Amino acid sequence: MSTADGADPMYPLLGRLVSSRDMGREIKLLGVKLLNGTQPPFPAYAPGQFAFLSAFGIGEAPFGLASTTERGEVLEFAVQRLGSVTTGLHELAEGDALGVRGPLGNTFPMEAFQHKNLLVLGGGIGGAPLRPVIHSVLDHRQDYGQLTILWAARHPSLLIFRDEYESWRAAPHTELHLTVDEADAAWDHHVGLMTDLVRQVAPSAANTVAITCGPPIMIYHVDKLLSELGFAPEQRYVTLEARMHCGLGKCGRCNMGELLVCRDGPVFSMAQVGNFLESYL
Amino acid sequence: MKTLSRENLNLWLDGLAAQQSLIAPHLEAQGVFYRPVQRAQEIAWEADRPALSAKEFLFPPSERLLKVEKRGPDIRLEVSPSAAPQAIFGLRPCDARGIRVMDAAFLETPPIDSQYASRRENTLLLGLACRSMGASCFCTIMGLAPDDPRDMDVMFTDRGPTLAVQALTPRGEALLAGLPIVEEPGEVEPASRREVGGLPTAEAWKESFGDARWAKHGERCLSCRLCAYVCPTCRCYDVRDEALPSPPGEAHFERLRAWDSCTREGYRLTAGGHNPRAAAGSRLRNRLLCKFVYYPHQYGPAACTGCGRCLDACPVNLDLLEIGGALQEAAQ
Ligand SMILES: Cc1cc2nc3c(=O)[nH]c(=O)nc-3n(C[C@H](O)[C@H](O)[C@H](O)COP(=O)(O)OP(=O)(O)OC[C@H]3O[C@@H](n4cnc5c(N)ncnc54)[C@H](O)[C@@H]3O)c2cc1C
Ligand code: SF4
Ligand code: SF4
Repeated sequence: MSTADGADPMYPLLGRLVSSRDMGREIKLLGVKLLNGTQPPFPAYAPGQFAFLSAFGIGEAPFGLASTTERGEVLEFAVQRLGSVTTGLHELAEGDALGVRGPLGNTFPMEAFQHKNLLVLGGGIGGAPLRPVIHSVLDHRQDYGQLTILWAARHPSLLIFRDEYESWRAAPHTELHLTVDEADAAWDHHVGLMTDLVRQVAPSAANTVAITCGPPIMIYHVDKLLSELGFAPEQRYVTLEARMHCGLGKCGRCNMGELLVCRDGPVFSMAQVGNFLESYL
Repeated sequence: MKTLSRENLNLWLDGLAAQQSLIAPHLEAQGVFYRPVQRAQEIAWEADRPALSAKEFLFPPSERLLKVEKRGPDIRLEVSPSAAPQAIFGLRPCDARGIRVMDAAFLETPPIDSQYASRRENTLLLGLACRSMGASCFCTIMGLAPDDPRDMDVMFTDRGPTLAVQALTPRGEALLAGLPIVEEPGEVEPASRREVGGLPTAEAWKESFGDARWAKHGERCLSCRLCAYVCPTCRCYDVRDEALPSPPGEAHFERLRAWDSCTREGYRLTAGGHNPRAAAGSRLRNRLLCKFVYYPHQYGPAACTGCGRCLDACPVNLDLLEIGGALQEAAQ
């Protein structure tokens, strides 16, 4: 496939793994730099976008870009090991070559979010594509209202970006609430489902936008609850995941009704998704 | 009308086959299929539309996207070479429309799919009008006709000793230049048409999403994917890496794309086990709503040409016309 500049968007750019760090059980934060001289360079990207990573010989799979262009040239991905490609990526050593294809998909309308309160709800590995939202708000703190982060995982060992929680909490007008389904001995935060935490925090819908990403079942129930709490469909954003093989609106796999997750999304407002969330579930 | 004698047409086709790959309806043990032929004599003239569409010549069942060569820490990627020229003769209007429908997704909606584009640029569409509509054909419902020339480079109509010929694109014009074409009085007779039922509007298809009948159809559907593989417009694909034989110290792979279908059980299965379309009825519904609602929304044209092949192919007789007809009745 070719773009205006002639580059084929099914053709991955070559990169090197510059860092691979355990972040949780079976979850690694991978840092990727494109090889020197790679043409074209990885384009500027924005919160919400994703890219395909290739473990050559095994395959490629899509991952949310967990970094921001602003914070540096290393592309970061939080990768949970679940199958063949994610295992291949986990097994790469620092310095190994891999392929990168992107950025793909739409972005969070960060400009439209300015001067609003943001409620960010991340469940498990679903928090990965939300980190760029959090970083963008923290890096332009005066442009946004209150930032309330609700962060959940099945178990403390599955929480991602734990080493950043202090800096998130330390930012002005920023709150972080944590919950796990099942605690361990060291856990001193909320225990229960994300929906329990939402009920407890009881966020106000006034001048607020909610952004949710996590397992489908969590998105479904959290979204229903937010609606009950008075969030209008236009105030409820989700970033969705669907199996996909091109990320370019060609392979046909990721449709949700007439929407394509790869091209129309992965970021959607519930005003767009409407009843089709049912078919996504 | 412009005509060409059968003798001259055959000579011309023989010449074409000598220069490039010539694909035409050909009688095989299992029926008539579009196949590469060496000479005009091998063409099955009398047949109805071939059993399979011409999709595979533009969008092959499996094709290499790139080759990967690993040598220690070094990796080399190689893209596939561009396609060789080919001409499809005897192409039926439904199959030409099938190609136009694929064009909408692969060429006309950015970004351009370079592999498809390379084949498409190098393919001549030489149509042959159907004499009449076959038993399961319903192209007329889809706005086509058995002798519809619109999607061709050149359209031929068989009149016995001579064929009417009409160029429809500059490429077609150029191709015919120099041929002993005769101007005859009169018009080409239209092909005979058959009354066929109707199908719901896109809106009615869309509203059928919650209809209980989808689950009923799902109880019958075998999720065998035949309907999608015989369909000239079903174009969903899978991408995967496969190992190739490699010299010592190196590892070679190819990245392939291969046909896939949304009626397959594991089509939407994600790592971790979540399957948003675990029910056969929801997958069948997706295939049909894609044809009439989703594909038009994303790319423009409806993704059905009325070729009727999925009606013929389905082992349990799930019939698009029947399913749609029942929905249409319910909608009225
Ligand atoms: C937009 C988007 C963003 C994502 N972001 C992240 C992220 O930040 N971190 C993370 O760990 N995971 C993310 N995922 C999920 C990730 O793509 C899958 O976990 C991954 O594809 C599993 O591949 P596998 O080869 O290990 O699994 P296997 O089960 O072996 O899958 C085989 C192939 O199926 C496809 N596939 C399987 N599951 C999925 C899936 N959920 N989505 C898309 N394709 C799939 C892939 O092509 C994969 O290579 C994201 C998915 C999407 C669509
Ligand atoms: S859906 Fe059936 S009738 Fe329509 S183009 Fe495809 S195979 Fe032919
Ligand atoms: S051919 Fe028939 S049984 Fe097979 S997947 Fe299609 S509808 Fe289902």
